[in-house]
Amino acid sequence: MEKKKKGLGKKILGALQVPVKDCKEIGQTFAHGDWKTKVSFLIMGFGPLMRGQILRGIAFLATEIAFIWYMVAVGAKYLKDIGTLGTVQGGFDENYVYTYGDNSFFILLFGVLSLFVLVAFLFAWRVNVRVNMNEEKRLKEGRKLATVKQDLHSLLDEHFDKTLLAVPVTGVFLFLLLPIVFMICVAFTNYDANHQSPTNLFTWVGLENFKNIFSLSTGGFGKTFVTVLNWTLVWAFCATFLTYFLGMAVAILINKKGIKFKKMWRTILVMTIAIPQFVSLLYVSKMFAADGLVNSYLMKWGWIKTALPFWTKASWARPTILLINLWVGIPYVMLITTGLLMNIPEELYESAKIDGASPFQTFRKITLPYMLFVTGPYLLTQFTGNLNNFNIIYLLSQGKPQSLELTGGAGYTDLLVTWLYKMTVQDTNYKMAAVIGIMVFLVTAVVSVAVYNILPSVRDEEGFQ
Amino acid sequence: MKKKLLAMLLSAAMVMSLAACGGGDDNKGNDGGSSNDNPPAASGNDDQGSAPATGNDDQGSAPADIDYGSGVITIWVAEAVTEFTQQKADEFFAAHPEMAGYTVDIQPTGEGDAAGNIIADVEGGADIYGFAQDQLGRLVSAGALTPITGDYASFVESENDAGAVNAAKMGNQIYAFPLTSDNGYFLYYDSSVVTDPSTLDQILADCSAAGKNFYMEINSGWYQTAFFFGTGCTLTYDTDDSGALTSSNITYATDNGVKALKAMIALAGNSTFVNGSSLNSATNVGAIIDGTWDSGLAKDIFGENYACAKLPTFTVDGETFQMGGFGGFKLLGVKPQTEQGKMLVCLALAQYLTNAETQLARYEAVGWGPSNLTAQGSEAIQADEALAALAAQLANAIPQGQYPDAYWQDATSLGDDVIAGTYNGMSDDELMNVLQGFQELEQSYVGQ
Repeated sequence: MEKKKKGLGKKILGALQVPVKDCKEIGQTFAHGDWKTKVSFLIMGFGPLMRGQILRGIAFLATEIAFIWYMVAVGAKYLKDIGTLGTVQGGFDENYVYTYGDNSFFILLFGVLSLFVLVAFLFAWRVNVRVNMNEEKRLKEGRKLATVKQDLHSLLDEHFDKTLLAVPVTGVFLFLLLPIVFMICVAFTNYDANHQSPTNLFTWVGLENFKNIFSLSTGGFGKTFVTVLNWTLVWAFCATFLTYFLGMAVAILINKKGIKFKKMWRTILVMTIAIPQFVSLLYVSKMFAADGLVNSYLMKWGWIKTALPFWTKASWARPTILLINLWVGIPYVMLITTGLLMNIPEELYESAKIDGASPFQTFRKITLPYMLFVTGPYLLTQFTGNLNNFNIIYLLSQGKPQSLELTGGAGYTDLLVTWLYKMTVQDTNYKMAAVIGIMVFLVTAVVSVAVYNILPSVRDEEGFQ
Repeated sequence: MKKKLLAMLLSAAMVMSLAACGGGDDNKGNDGGSSNDNPPAASGNDDQGSAPATGNDDQGSAPADIDYGSGVITIWVAEAVTEFTQQKADEFFAAHPEMAGYTVDIQPTGEGDAAGNIIADVEGGADIYGFAQDQLGRLVSAGALTPITGDYASFVESENDAGAVNAAKMGNQIYAFPLTSDNGYFLYYDSSVVTDPSTLDQILADCSAAGKNFYMEINSGWYQTAFFFGTGCTLTYDTDDSGALTSSNITYATDNGVKALKAMIALAGNSTFVNGSSLNSATNVGAIIDGTWDSGLAKDIFGENYACAKLPTFTVDGETFQMGGFGGFKLLGVKPQTEQGKMLVCLALAQYLTNAETQLARYEAVGWGPSNLTAQGSEAIQADEALAALAAQLANAIPQGQYPDAYWQDATSLGDDVIAGTYNGMSDDELMNVLQGFQELEQSYVGQ
């Protein structure tokens, strides 16, 4: 542990030193460089062009021109407003013809994009400086510079990784990174139903929304957040481990010698997988409603007088959801564990039997450790998946029942992620939804990292080989 | 044997998918304010000749010989009336050749969804769109509606019933053309089950005796007011012309409010009660509180025992109250336009789509109850049972004004608490505390 800490400290220190080193190098390059290098600081690619490296020079120059063109045409006007997110509101003239004003949404989106472009340009400029430095060094040492052909060839050889990754990295940036950064930014604005672009402006509010989510006063989200978070964790834990152990039990049961029609039992269980959840869950949800099959038959048979509150009482709805989830989840676990169970070496069981171990002991000492070892990562993905299990909750109960005890339209069976969905779709409360989104990420990340580190398969990679 | 199994599986799959459809609609019915967006299925077209053009009614100070330009006008209306709207738009352009540079693109969008869709992207949204009137506040504050002034405003005010006119107003400014005056609720019942639809107790007793269910969606802010407004409580907001809430008039935390809440608790505890208002997901219905959009379905389900009535009375602590509630309206709005020519065409078209002839034709085509006074006076409307029951109920209802989004959520929470039995066995004082909390919450939305 001690060692690890030191390693981390060093890493942080190292990371801090990088920009310092960089600045030093840039300074030295400028001070000791020839005039071509010095001009390159202003006109990117000038040095390589003058030294005959046409392709590199043109690439750098094109980057600079593209950057300037982007900033003049698009970026600058958005970057200028990113501090306020727009000041001019749209309105009607005397003929009721409408003129649109600033659009806070686009200002934020393109502002963020422009910041990324700026960072990318600075990086390109830094590379430009380094290329100049290296070229000078090479020439001083009397070596030749790479020709255009060699440069191009290197893209298929020692720089092949960059060629391959260019497209995926751009995709990840545009479709993943940019939206995530944008969403995180929204959490620090007042973008909600009363501040809708394009006709209304929204602006930065600092940590206001984060204060609100932990605020316990009336109308504050604090109490509701804690309730929803607790249920999310309880749900994820129960849903994961109940289905895991019961699924394993079912698999062991079916695997037992002497059980007849094994294939039939498995087929019956797998049927639940074959039917799409959208169909089966909506149907089951209706089945347990006040006027659903279950209640009306129980009433018909005279077992109950009034309908059982499967979906209307929190104390009933939560266990009902867990039970129905068992029905959905057990077959998956059964399928996975059936194969694994057959893999456990038979000798282990035989020697345990000779030593006089009871069936429970063999399960606890042989089966379970083996299973946990192999399915550890599966359990972790299941757990994080359940933290965000939108389908089951939304199709069964839509997060209901609601209560005046909870704010923000949350219900007692809402997970953080279904609450987030309701906030965006029903209440157009984007600012709080963004905060909840960040919270979901934090919870998932913390739990994943913590659990990952205690997984037997991670701690002891050679345990069962 | 194998064939039999296959047949069973197939039929099971079909039943499930049917149930899934029902479930889907149920969700839609449950989401707060937009619960009144289930129009009846389309049932053929009418063959009305082209109606005469209505006068010269330019908004503001447009010159007479204006060049209207050309382009595409996008219209969002409910799926049931897309064909009808297309036909009427064609008639409009045939009667107004000077505006024929425009073509219409009609897209099916439910009145409940239109507001959400247009707010998400005002610039890209439809030019003319139908919406449920409880969405007006949201739309105005999002700047998604053009104010209606001048001749158009007087057209709206003089031709429509007072409730519809108020529904189209924000403060003193009219923002939309009333389309229908049928978004209210009343009682559908099976006349072989319910002997006397005038009191709630009798309806419940009859349903219980016949083993049938009584449906009312008391966890919806829309239906719940039948109790609260019935005992004389008020819950309204005043808005300025831009849609911001300026003050509230809420008297839920009163003795009358407690009585209404007690009536709801008693109803929720009744064994025949089921929370819901969507006929197509209801089973074993004896009576249901629902709106005109389900009238076709109700006729199918109840057959010759189909009957409608205004809402019943209910009795709390020996006192009897008539159920009240909301009257609701569908409106047709015009998005703010950046070109004057297009704006004028949109306004003229929207007016044409809501005038007396079109409203009557729409009633004949798809059964939507008109808001236009002339259309309301016609024989066909007078003879419609469901619309008659609605008209009787509307006398006890208040036109639904503007409510903050949060109200619908809070009302659902209150209803859910009632259904969950949270308030069972509470004393009047404790119930008063609950209502006090609710009232303060609703008051807190003013000025936000």
